[in-house]
Amino acid sequence: MMTPERLQAEKDVLKRKLPCYDYRFLDMETSKPYIVLPAKTNRGNIYTIRIELDEFPNEIPKAFVTKMLKTKLGKEMNDCSASMHTLTSEHGYTRICHYGYSSWTPMVSLYKIYVKCRLWLEMYELHLQTGHNMDYYLNHQE
Amino acid sequence: MEELPIIYIDKEELKEFCSQDLSEKEGISYEWEKEQVVHIKLNPSLHSFGRIGKVAFQRGDFPFPYGQSVPWIKDEFSYIVYVLDENTARVFEVVEGRLIEKKLYYIPSKDDLYSRSKGILEVNILESKRVMIVGLGSFGSQIAIELAKAGVGSFSLFDFDRIELHNLARHTCTIKDLGRLKTDAIYDAIVGKNPYAHVDKFPIDINKNIPLLNEEISKADIVICATDNNKSRFNISEELVKQQKLGIFGRAVTRAEGGDIFRYVPGGPCYCCLIGTEWYDTSAEEITNIGSGRRNGQIPAYVSDEDADAVVQVGLSSDIEPICNLMVKLTLMELSRGEDSGISCLEDELVYDYYMWANRRERRHVNWAPLPNAGNRPTILRWYGAYIKKVEDCPLCSHHIVLDEGEEYEAKLGEMTDMKDVD
Ligand SMILES: [Zn+2]
Repeated sequence: MMTPERLQAEKDVLKRKLPCYDYRFLDMETSKPYIVLPAKTNRGNIYTIRIELDEFPNEIPKAFVTKMLKTKLGKEMNDCSASMHTLTSEHGYTRICHYGYSSWTPMVSLYKIYVKCRLWLEMYELHLQTGHNMDYYLNHQE
Repeated sequence: MEELPIIYIDKEELKEFCSQDLSEKEGISYEWEKEQVVHIKLNPSLHSFGRIGKVAFQRGDFPFPYGQSVPWIKDEFSYIVYVLDENTARVFEVVEGRLIEKKLYYIPSKDDLYSRSKGILEVNILESKRVMIVGLGSFGSQIAIELAKAGVGSFSLFDFDRIELHNLARHTCTIKDLGRLKTDAIYDAIVGKNPYAHVDKFPIDINKNIPLLNEEISKADIVICATDNNKSRFNISEELVKQQKLGIFGRAVTRAEGGDIFRYVPGGPCYCCLIGTEWYDTSAEEITNIGSGRRNGQIPAYVSDEDADAVVQVGLSSDIEPICNLMVKLTLMELSRGEDSGISCLEDELVYDYYMWANRRERRHVNWAPLPNAGNRPTILRWYGAYIKKVEDCPLCSHHIVLDEGEEYEAKLGEMTDMKDVD
């Protein structure tokens, strides 16, 4: 769980980097706090990214797109996939694999995770367009 | 030739029997079968092996002439103990209703036991100290037992795991402990060395119970982090900083080709400060089994068990021994710091924040100097110490937090999009 100082530092970064975005910290007084952020891709599609904060920043937080995405061929992206950079889904949401164990440090900001999720969405839409697996575009998230 | 059987009785229990003002009480004998070794107990032993028999404890001296049959003695009793006073007893084996006196050995009472172990260390200092050990694997188990031998009086043990086959080779526990909680097994090992040690057991995952973790840290004089994952190291480190407590972190790197130790001293750099330095390599973490590798996220979920098997590479017990040993020395030195003790002089030697050890010149140690003529350079089988700089804007130990904003990914994304505002 974040300290008040950490939460403030995260808010400061988000305010500076995403001044006009309507992101929200939710359930902050509970044991399952999370943040939701809107994300608009190059192609103009709008998604919501949900990052769960219960063990952040000492553990890699879970990050989701708040719906069940499908591959080009229509398969639900609900399980672990190395080629699509997903982990087992929860809440009916596709879970993004955005960080690997060995490169995680508590210095990583929520903003950086958000940027990595945004990149993931761009690759996802490229996949929908071309049918290439996402790791065709994206090196494994480090 | 020594007289058999060898019979032991605990003086603390004689004291207890005398203080209860009883004339008789039933006790238990534990016999190591075919070895003619018997331990007589007033109270049942928590865990024991061997043949169990009934013992009658009697207050006063043996009232009958030697070898005479005693009317009330039934064969259900294996031994009769006559307790003369809290320091003296006589023991008789019951053989076909007759009593045959046997030689009795005593397990000394608390004061006596401590005075025996008095050596280079000031036991009185250590007896009052409390050590918290998180993780009772091959590291934590050895460290716990060494500290008990040295006379540390109080322990707080954390591990939610049980002893499994894959643990056995490097663990202090043996095959008879299979299936047991590590906290229970190490409790026995500590109490076996020092029956008067106070041990609190917490078979839980500290990452899932931070309030308890913090409460126990507050009671401890020093915290030993012997876990296999960074999440617990960060959690512990954060609380050590908050509470300004001493901490020792130790681990092995891949296949135990080496390992490292980090010491947190209040006011100094924290574990998170260490991670950004050139010395530290998070990817080198030793993965000792698939289960923990998956739990910790070191083995990604999409990797099959077959492929995961290849990354599970465990070094030898003798490879991790030197690392455990220095962790014990650092702990004892810190616990005795400022006191006049036999290891005070180490305070001039063990001045570093970070200690590196290599068992073999391979992989990350391949460029280390060969042992002959290594001079001051890092080499194998020799400790190499380093000072770590406190990171001014460390997110865990400084008030002025500077976060990683991921400029490199921002740039990548910028190449694809101009990050239009979303209204
Ligand atoms: Zn720090």
